[in-house]
Amino acid sequence: MEKLCALCVSVVKMEEWMEPVMVVEHVTRRFGSGETEVVAVRDVSLAVEPGEIVLIMGPSGSGKTTLLLMLGGLLRPSEGRIRIGEDDLTELDERRLPEVRLRRIGFIFQDFNLFSSLSALDNVALVVQLTGLSRRAARRRARQLLEELGMGHRLNFLPEKLSGGEKQRVAIARALVNEPDIILADEPTANLDSRRGHETMRLLRRIAKEGMRSVIIVSHDERIKDIADRVLWLEDGSFKNEVEMATDPVCGMSVDRERAPAQVVYDGRTLYFCAPGCRDEFLANPKQFL
Amino acid sequence: MFHLAWRNLLQSRTQFFLGVGGVALALLLMLSLDALLVGSEQDLVAYIYQSGADIFVAQEGVRNLHMAASAISMQDMRRAARTEGVASASPILYTTGVVETEQADVLSYIIGFDPREPLGGPQVIVAGTAQLGRGEAIIDNAVARSQGVELGDEIEILGETFTVVGLTEGLTNIINSVTFIHIDDFRALRRGDSISYALLAVEPGYDPAEVAAAIEARNEDVTALPREVFAREERQIVKDMSVEVIYIMNMAGLLIGLAVTALTLYTSTLRKRQEYGVLKAMGAKNRHLYSVVVVQAFLSLTMGSAVAIGLVWLMGSILPLVVPGTAMALTQAGVVRVLTAALGIGVVAALVPAWQMARLDPAQVFRS
Ligand SMILES: Nc1ncnc2c1ncn2[C@@H]1O[C@H](COP(=O)(O)OP(=O)(O)O)[C@@H](O)[C@H]1O
Ligand SMILES: [Mg+2]
Repeated sequence: MEKLCALCVSVVKMEEWMEPVMVVEHVTRRFGSGETEVVAVRDVSLAVEPGEIVLIMGPSGSGKTTLLLMLGGLLRPSEGRIRIGEDDLTELDERRLPEVRLRRIGFIFQDFNLFSSLSALDNVALVVQLTGLSRRAARRRARQLLEELGMGHRLNFLPEKLSGGEKQRVAIARALVNEPDIILADEPTANLDSRRGHETMRLLRRIAKEGMRSVIIVSHDERIKDIADRVLWLEDGSFKNEVEMATDPVCGMSVDRERAPAQVVYDGRTLYFCAPGCRDEFLANPKQFL
Repeated sequence: MFHLAWRNLLQSRTQFFLGVGGVALALLLMLSLDALLVGSEQDLVAYIYQSGADIFVAQEGVRNLHMAASAISMQDMRRAARTEGVASASPILYTTGVVETEQADVLSYIIGFDPREPLGGPQVIVAGTAQLGRGEAIIDNAVARSQGVELGDEIEILGETFTVVGLTEGLTNIINSVTFIHIDDFRALRRGDSISYALLAVEPGYDPAEVAAAIEARNEDVTALPREVFAREERQIVKDMSVEVIYIMNMAGLLIGLAVTALTLYTSTLRKRQEYGVLKAMGAKNRHLYSVVVVQAFLSLTMGSAVAIGLVWLMGSILPLVVPGTAMALTQAGVVRVLTAALGIGVVAALVPAWQMARLDPAQVFRS
């Protein structure tokens, strides 16, 4: 018991030691004005520690992408501040933002977004070249990283010749190759089957923990939840306390119990569905889903 | 960036090669007429040299053959002939007309000369005779070959029928040919007894320029020019007349080249919007993206220019074999002009795609 507490103390001390890499303070983003004004993100605050994996979930239209864009320095908040280390993204000159994105942030996209005319190796090397390194040096570094990620046998393949999981690994290598502090991923598993999705998430976790990089993932994929250190629920532009969530047994989506469009009491349990369609499918053959 | 530009350009190969081909053809347009004229320049004045005249005497103010109408009297010619240093004087009648063969009409200088006179007639005969009589004509070998005319065949000149009795060589160029008839036949077609030009030979030891000046001093109704000057004026007239055509061809070439290049670069950039947006999101600066456009413009245009220059060179070797009487010469000035045009095209064509690149909002990538 005492031993365990000693461990607790040391963990707490370590955490105190660490400065957050990213601090978001009261960020709001509006689009349009007057009657047509939309508040996409409303007074959001957040601090992300090095090595932490934060999952931001929320229904479609809740402001996830808008928030991610602001975190990535691709969109300016209407109010509030975003800091990465000592750089204040909200105050940085427009011309300095690319440099911050290049060296401190890695992006992973939903549809991989590889450069279709370039080989896997050149896809990764190109991003290194942006920092001013020669093509040779960039390719050397890219090759090493791809080999570490188990892509050594696909270096000279064009994206069209790669499977979804392989494409995602190239995309991850590309996000990682300039050694960023933060990796931002928008729906990284949306285009992958569940096995590849899981592999991708485990890889991201390894990257976060080994390299002490923070990973912020935006997704509505319920399966990601277990590898995240923290799950935040975004709704109507602001974080809600984790509402009571349930998993739709048919489609696997997470559903807010209070707002579920359909529910069924089956075998003494209440089940929640994302849509009446899922409920009907369930009722047609309940055994299949339990 | 060079590698990306190159790969992206080559990714849709057909479009790339169409683009390069289009630029090449446009630049070819700029080069070819010029090359044709330069190549044919010597041919343009072939008659003036072949005639053997040291001095051409014409109506006052007339300084060449092409598109000129000259009339002097026999008396003017005899006065010129009496000038010190003049060995002989031969009259010719001249007009520009059409020679009608069975196949087609050929534009030609029509020269009426007197076979008994030393000058004015053809000097290089490859078939038949130079000694033509009434109702007979001598045409150029190149016309005969292309129109399928043989010795003894009949042709129509200025509305009259003539029999071909001789063939000359080297008197056909891209603009026209030279056809000879008897001076009396020519005179019969035309009222009055004036002549067009007097062709003078100078005695050995006399300077044609000085003799010509002396002729003009004695008779202010005539202009007398040494052969070199007369030939230079002839070339200049043809050049002046074709300058506008060359200008229009150059402009057309420039515009076509510009349109093709701009379109190729524009569509290539448009197709890659998403990827360039990703590159921007990842931290590429505008100058990185501009360099993609510049490299693409440079690649298309260098290849286009090379193909165009190669084609002109190739045509220069093939064309004279296919179309008699034509020659093409690739000049340094022509090459410089094409490369300058290519550079200009590149700069203008790159503007729109560069603007496209600069306007790209990297946030758009996440909203697809
Ligand atoms: N550029 C924009 N102009 C106007 N409204 C926008 C813009 N971007 C997002 N929105 C609005 O902001 C809200 C949040 O959008 P988004 O961040 O894309 O949500 P999510 O990614 O969670 O689906 C939506 O109502 C959307 O219509
Ligand atoms: Mg979204």
